[in-house]
Amino acid sequence: MANFFPRWTNLLPLKIAVCLIFVVAGLTAAFSYYATPKAQRVGYQPDQPIDYDHALHVDQLGMDCRYCHSSVDKSASAGVPTANTCWNCHQHVQKGSPKLAPLRAAMGVDEDHAPIEGAVKKPIKWVRIHKSPDYVYFNHAAHVNRGVSCQSCHGDIHKMEKVHHDKSLSMAFCLDCHREPENHLRPLEEVYNLDYNAEKYLLENEIKNEEGERVTTQKEFGELLKKNWSIHPKESCATCHR
Amino acid sequence: MSNRKNNQPDSAVNAPSNGGTKIWRSLGELESTERFQDALDREFVDGSAQMETEEEREVSRRSFMKLMGASSALAGMGLAACRRPESLIVPFTESPEWSVPGKPVHFASSMPRANGAVPLVVTTHDGRPTKLEPNKLFDKHAGTDSFTQASILDMYDPARSRDFLQNGAQASRADFEKALADIADPSANIGFVFGDDVSPTRSRLMQELKAKFADARFFQYEPLSGDARKQANAAVFGADADVVVNFSRAKVVLSLDSDFLELDQQGSVSGFYKNRFIEGAGYNKKANAKAMNRLYIAEGGFSLTGGMADHRLRIAPSQVPAIAAEIANQLGASVLVKGGITLSATEKQWAAECAKDLKANAGKSVVLAGSRQSRELQDLCITINSLLGNYGKTLKAVNSGRGNLGDMKSLISSLNKGQLDAVILLTPGNPVYDADGFAEAAKKTKLIHLGLRNDATANAADWHVPAAHYLESWSDARTSNGSLAVVQPLILPLYNGVSENDLLLALLDGKLFDSSKDGETTSVSYDAVRKTFAALADGSDKSWLKFLRDGFWKDSSFAAATTLNAVSRQTINLPSAPSKGSLEVVFATDGSIYDGRYANNAWLQEAPDPITKVCWDNVAVVSPKTAKDLGVYDKILKLQPKGKVYGIETENAGVGPDGEGKDHANPLVKVTVNGRELEVAIMIGFGHADNVVSIALGYGQGFDEHDELKRGPKNEKDVSLVSVNRGFNSYALRTNNTPYLATGAKVESANKRYSIAMTQEHHAMYGRALAREISTMEHDHHGHKADFAAQIEGVKTQGMDSHAPENISLYKQKGSETWHEKAQADKHLYDQRQQWAMTIDLNNCIGCNACLVACQAENNIPVVGKEQVAMGREMHWIRMDRYFSATDGDEDNPEMIPQPVACMQCESAPCETVCPVNATVHSEDGLNTMAYNRCIGTRYCANNCPYKARRFNFFDYNKRNPLIEKNLYKGPGGKKAVGEAPHLQRNPNVTVRMRGVMEKCTYCVQRIQSAKAKVKARLKKKATIAGGSSVDVKMADSELRPKLDSVRVACQDACPSSAITFGNLQDGDKAKVVRSRNSARNYELLHYIGTLPRTTYLARVKNPNPSMPGAKGIGRATIEMY
Repeated sequence: MANFFPRWTNLLPLKIAVCLIFVVAGLTAAFSYYATPKAQRVGYQPDQPIDYDHALHVDQLGMDCRYCHSSVDKSASAGVPTANTCWNCHQHVQKGSPKLAPLRAAMGVDEDHAPIEGAVKKPIKWVRIHKSPDYVYFNHAAHVNRGVSCQSCHGDIHKMEKVHHDKSLSMAFCLDCHREPENHLRPLEEVYNLDYNAEKYLLENEIKNEEGERVTTQKEFGELLKKNWSIHPKESCATCHR
Repeated sequence: MSNRKNNQPDSAVNAPSNGGTKIWRSLGELESTERFQDALDREFVDGSAQMETEEEREVSRRSFMKLMGASSALAGMGLAACRRPESLIVPFTESPEWSVPGKPVHFASSMPRANGAVPLVVTTHDGRPTKLEPNKLFDKHAGTDSFTQASILDMYDPARSRDFLQNGAQASRADFEKALADIADPSANIGFVFGDDVSPTRSRLMQELKAKFADARFFQYEPLSGDARKQANAAVFGADADVVVNFSRAKVVLSLDSDFLELDQQGSVSGFYKNRFIEGAGYNKKANAKAMNRLYIAEGGFSLTGGMADHRLRIAPSQVPAIAAEIANQLGASVLVKGGITLSATEKQWAAECAKDLKANAGKSVVLAGSRQSRELQDLCITINSLLGNYGKTLKAVNSGRGNLGDMKSLISSLNKGQLDAVILLTPGNPVYDADGFAEAAKKTKLIHLGLRNDATANAADWHVPAAHYLESWSDARTSNGSLAVVQPLILPLYNGVSENDLLLALLDGKLFDSSKDGETTSVSYDAVRKTFAALADGSDKSWLKFLRDGFWKDSSFAAATTLNAVSRQTINLPSAPSKGSLEVVFATDGSIYDGRYANNAWLQEAPDPITKVCWDNVAVVSPKTAKDLGVYDKILKLQPKGKVYGIETENAGVGPDGEGKDHANPLVKVTVNGRELEVAIMIGFGHADNVVSIALGYGQGFDEHDELKRGPKNEKDVSLVSVNRGFNSYALRTNNTPYLATGAKVESANKRYSIAMTQEHHAMYGRALAREISTMEHDHHGHKADFAAQIEGVKTQGMDSHAPENISLYKQKGSETWHEKAQADKHLYDQRQQWAMTIDLNNCIGCNACLVACQAENNIPVVGKEQVAMGREMHWIRMDRYFSATDGDEDNPEMIPQPVACMQCESAPCETVCPVNATVHSEDGLNTMAYNRCIGTRYCANNCPYKARRFNFFDYNKRNPLIEKNLYKGPGGKKAVGEAPHLQRNPNVTVRMRGVMEKCTYCVQRIQSAKAKVKARLKKKATIAGGSSVDVKMADSELRPKLDSVRVACQDACPSSAITFGNLQDGDKAKVVRSRNSARNYELLHYIGTLPRTTYLARVKNPNPSMPGAKGIGRATIEMY
């Protein structure tokens, strides 16, 4: 009986096995990179109905985060400003700008800011960028009231002309800080100061730890604050999941 | 399994040497059937973890393969679009007042009820009312019952009436307005039928209506209103009179067939419970038996009040006046009883000793008669109370200001005489269904019906008007003591409903208020309510705002009524006592759906009846002896063979594998009374009077083709998905002359069965002395005397704890060989700020389900439907266990002890150690937490829970409506229910669980977390006050602790008897929960297995009168259990 399989097929199973190893390893590597929040979310920068420029408002004009996100230190949700918050200024500033058409629609006025008879005030539909999953209960107030700045999770918002997702906000990201909050804690007065720099602050303000030594780094400073304020971030599930 | 069996004691019923004490929760346990023993071993009853039939299994296996194939193919194609879908944030255009995103807003309102409005605090999230709590500003000790808790679901009922109906067909609002204009002819004879509640605005509008329509007549109707009680009070104290009880002054309470704690409330009951605390309501006093009140009751079937009673006399309700007369005579009256039973020597002694006790507490006692009992009994009750001088002390006669209103009988007679051109029904009753003879009489008039449901009356009426729920309307109401309470809307009417005041004002003004068009302006009812308030209290804005903020007006009450006449009843005629051939039928108030008005409320339908533990249906209840006489006892005990062959009774029916599982079917009996017949399922009621059949009212409102018994008429139009094919309509047996009970009934077996979902055997626990009790009376057992103090000390060593050795951990014991210093470094997570704990005081718990429903509302617990409940898949986090106990073999007169059981939050939790994925772990503040998104549904945890407190989502009950026939088994092909109205009720701070996830009580972790988040702001406050830099501020743990006793869990808030205490152990003695845990009555459930539960119980204390017959056996159920 003739050989059904030519000689080269002897090595075929081995080749297939080697191939499979590479394919599986490749897929695993690809999945573990591309399917993580770091790859999935960071950099997400959707178009917004109004080209709101954080850099202009915060960095140049010096507005405080809490002017618009007014419930950030009171509630779990930071709050997106209602249209009348924008209108407080923009009824005087940038009158008639085409960029502000959705705002005028929300306020029910025409380009000259004259009320339109019978207009339905259409709310502005902002596109959500940062979203914790439904099973995660994040509380903004609990963080900003304990010396964690907006910057720690949202990045340099004050430099962004168009907001993008800056940090991964994965569970590992949360846990990093819950395990070592000293890397992020800052004085309450500086929580909304997005230009804050720990070293600079410590140069300007002489702060001493319990041993009477001058504190110079963020880590040392954070540890001092953690101790003074009795900060013990929790790592148990019910902290965020319930 | 066998191993477990060996480690566990037998159930209490079979326990050896238990001094003749028996405790059982069902007939199966009492008779110790094989199936009950099997159920004990199981985590869930048999069948709960299996697919129902072979056919379904096959279908789902095939569809699973199909779906897997399809979804993997789609996943391949869809890989490119991995990013999360775009979602939007849509803020308001103009910020509403009080609105902070993510924060609930609370408003005061109240629920109008026949026995007094319930002042409430309503929680709203983004304008959606989600939860009702009692208004603690009104009464610190007040709670709510399950009806109030569940009433919020009525508002979101998807089957709620939305359209105007003309003769049952959809009509337009404009058409109705036209029809209304025709009716509102000043010369017309209009009849108005109101509910039993009192509303000052309505009373004022009534006067205006009288002025406009000279011939208008006013009636009052609710199917369960006590007309005899009203008439008796009116005869003595004048028309409109009502008698309000003040329990806080009462040392001795005698109830003559009145469930005054739950279904027949005659005044605020918080005072009663306050007098039950032997260590004071704050657990801050030494245990003092004298501080406790004493409750006597004479009743037919067990009521929750009967379960609380220190002395309970089991007697047919028709014969209760005989006991009352005996007591009255002992007190000095001379009442002659004609007919009825001859009281036995024990009964006579009962009455005599009770009378003695009442006399000794004259002026500090209360005697109450069941509202729906006969006029004879009402008169006797007034006589007794007058003889005791209770009026003006514990009882207050008041003028309710209802106005002189006619009753159903006079309405029917006016209709039959053709005196009414139109009848406007504003009552919460459903008279076409629940008033005998009304449907026929109403054909002679034009019927206008305002209601929340499309029920029988709505479909029969000439015009049906969709009503606004009380949470959607402006009104006012009187509480039981006459305090003026506001009814505020929390939301614009969801379906543009019309409120009662809107309709009355439309008749006066000729224009019907349209909330969808005129909602921007203040409603006409608002103006009317404000006008009433100005007249009754004060016209200033400040007072009005205070009224709205507080929810009630402080200095308001009913005007006192004066005694006009004395009762002059010398003789009473009683029907002959019920006997084997001539039984007595009692039309009982239903503990789940009241008179039937809550039939569409799925929470209430699914809440097991507090006494029978039947869900979704009603049953006829008889005593074991009567069941034996009727020849149905064995049929109730024995099950049908496996497989669904209901309807055919086989002689040698085998015993099913489990007790109250999916195959549980009760036999049907045919009840014939008043010349009418009803086939109804029957079950045993322990402690029920012999030869009496109690049937709850309110069920059997409509049937469709899926009905198990193929009943007619097919009137599914009158009901919703929730109420279709539910139970048996006992109104069919009731006549206007026999509103409460009918005698001379015949009951015979009907050779059929009907499946019943019953939970009394579900989640049954091993072990003895689970619900413990003691007595204030000295207890003598074989020469060992134990007084009250000794019994209190003995609570901790009842049952298994009397001889099981203390549990000792195997490792890391200081002083032992395995101890080493390093172990100290491995500290358990332990939060210095908060450690949560709960106590449940069984002395106050009556087992009323309020906590169960409140928990359901707070924690987004789904409804699973009758079939799923039968399989043991109910999701209630709190289960209300209810035990019967009998001492000295007197099984006919048992005591009833309720015990709510939820997750015990064990410090050493058996569930945590077996979870393969660490989905259930301990938190540093002492909670046994569930991470739902981690749970993979192995159910090991539930298997290892000795309390059987864990619940598993066998299906996606939230997304797929379990009430649609077979919907759950259709997998993804089933009908989805997303975005339906009830979803608006969901608490946004609690995850909505999906299929395959384990869940259980979390100690309302969302409330704890929000309290913790709140205290974090204190740092900033302290820094601001100190001035200077926040860096220098130092915070101690004690400063970061939530305010003392400020975290309140949902069950605790709802509890009408303040039996549940929750708090922070780290607050030390200042916390109420610490004080209650330090009480000697405090014990751990299944202490001997060493789980160190954070929820503990306080033993029940009975306060018997030593000279009463049978006093020795009271409160003894668990004392001798070891």
